[in-house]
Amino acid sequence: MESELDRLRKKVENFPSASMFNRIAELARQAGDKDGAEQACRRCIKEFPRSSQAYVILADLKIAEGKSAEARQLVTTAIEKDPRSYAAHWLSASLAESKEKAIHHLRLILAFKPGDLQATKRIQELGGVAPPAPPAGSTATVSSARFAARPSPTSPPRAGVGAITTTSSKGLQAGIDAPSPTSTPVAAVSINTAIRQTMVSRTGILDALCGEPGVRGAVISDGQGRVVSARGLAAGQDELLAALAADLGKTALEVLRPSGVEGISSWSMGATLGQIISFNRGELTVAVVAEANVRPAMLELRARQALVDLGGA
Amino acid sequence: MQELLGHLNKVRGVGGTLLVSVEGLTMASQLRTGADESALAATIGELLGSAQRTAQHLGLGVPATFQAITDHGGLLILAAGPAYVAILTDAGANLSLLGIEAKPHLERIAARLAL
Repeated sequence: MESELDRLRKKVENFPSASMFNRIAELARQAGDKDGAEQACRRCIKEFPRSSQAYVILADLKIAEGKSAEARQLVTTAIEKDPRSYAAHWLSASLAESKEKAIHHLRLILAFKPGDLQATKRIQELGGVAPPAPPAGSTATVSSARFAARPSPTSPPRAGVGAITTTSSKGLQAGIDAPSPTSTPVAAVSINTAIRQTMVSRTGILDALCGEPGVRGAVISDGQGRVVSARGLAAGQDELLAALAADLGKTALEVLRPSGVEGISSWSMGATLGQIISFNRGELTVAVVAEANVRPAMLELRARQALVDLGGA
Repeated sequence: MQELLGHLNKVRGVGGTLLVSVEGLTMASQLRTGADESALAATIGELLGSAQRTAQHLGLGVPATFQAITDHGGLLILAAGPAYVAILTDAGANLSLLGIEAKPHLERIAARLAL
């Protein structure tokens, strides 16, 4: 039977996407094919230079080879590409030459993931003081450019924040080595944990989004309207929604381009029997189909959280 | 009709308005100087066509609103009877509030089109 790795390697030639390259790299690494993993990362960086995740995976590979300096440089680049990359900051903290620098990166994680238990615990292990977690039930702050989710510190871990739950990530689950509460040296922090925290299953993310009342289905697509993942949509509708959503976003941009606009962060269409709401982050788009009476603000909240969970993809 | 669009232009956050048919033909315009209203109307017509196709294929009925948000302003398209009013918004405009404030103006435009 054809393995997921073989299937993705064939698919990526026709439908290249950063997320697919990253998945290939991760699977190749798990299979012990370090050269294949590095090759996938290099191609991802070449074809999708804005993707930060490939730098993070590559950094992890370099660490395994004992090339810490090179890994540090790669992680720095990853943070430049995506200042909100959980994995990149966690790796930076792991690679830091001093506790102060490690704590600095962990605090940056808490700046965009307030109350994150892993980061908070790690800061305490390193002897630092974590910023106070936000009160339970606090309101998320939404802006057109950035979104800062504020999960309750008592809420169960979401997919992507210490929880990998889907069957497709069996390989990722194997050998997960979460930071030990007693492990104090900076270098002792498991680097793979960081990778796994952001190698989130896109399926899991869409399950949560589609579990919201009134949501019919959702699709994650790349900039060309090609499906990365979909949930809740009838056969063929996922590709249709991805293609039409890309078309709508592109046309809307054409309308606004004379005003100096170069990119649309989100768009929505309300119709008599339902609505579509679409959000962009980097090269990925989440389009959600929902009943007409679902509050768009709630959809926005969930969809943006899904995009945040996608990390540096 | 120009007068009605002029009133709509006075709503806070509105940077220009355009009344277009479903086919993308300009019916009335109150855009800022320099804007190519014909080109804009044609693109909006294309957008409406895409929206209708999307809604049809996904069983969503008839499109009534479309909004796009960017860092430098936005676009709000609202149904007004058989036509659509496209509102170009300034950066930081509250699109939800704008939609509410625009509603009576849209009803007047729809009533005028029904005459």
